[in-house]
Amino acid sequence: MEKQLTNKIKIYRAIHNLTQEQLAEGVGVTRQTIIAIEKNKYVPSLELAFRIARVFQDSLENIFQYSK
Amino acid sequence: MNYHQFKRIKLLIALFISATVAVAIIYNNIILAFAGMIIGISFLFLVKKKTKAVLVDERLENIAGRAARLTYITLTITIGFLSLIFIGTGRRTGETGYEFLGIILSYITLLSVAIYSLSYKYFSKKYGETADEQD
Repeated sequence: MEKQLTNKIKIYRAIHNLTQEQLAEGVGVTRQTIIAIEKNKYVPSLELAFRIARVFQDSLENIFQYSK
Repeated sequence: MNYHQFKRIKLLIALFISATVAVAIIYNNIILAFAGMIIGISFLFLVKKKTKAVLVDERLENIAGRAARLTYITLTITIGFLSLIFIGTGRRTGETGYEFLGIILSYITLLSVAIYSLSYKYFSKKYGETADEQD
């Protein structure tokens, strides 16, 4: 089955020079959760998605993509 | 204290509890086993409070919720069926012990369903469910 919600967190992390650990600390989750989101195995809550977008100072739509 | 340090301390506490319980079993001393467990759990609680790293987040809560639900379904159905089997066997053979055990298990099943229903209702209310709300 094709993934409906994908993200560019890995790319954004590289741009901002952040490790998974640093991003996890910044948004208040465990590193395992960041790994799961990056691999599209876990869909974050809207609140967490906004927190991630705030860390990267970009809009939600640029970081997360929803495809039907 | 970071997450890795916490994990290491948690492992040490688990080893301490296991060792205490093992020694308690060897010397047949139940007080030592309880003391070991209480000390270990209290220490773990203190360490958890001191840890600044995030130990539980929404993904872990999600996983825990799913695991708890699966455990509830499996256990309730299993204990429910066992209670029926014991009651049936007890009535057929005339052994009151079986029937008594079956009745106890059926009450445990009811208790489990009651706790689940109450906690479901509580969390449902907490997270916004209202009775037939319309605009």
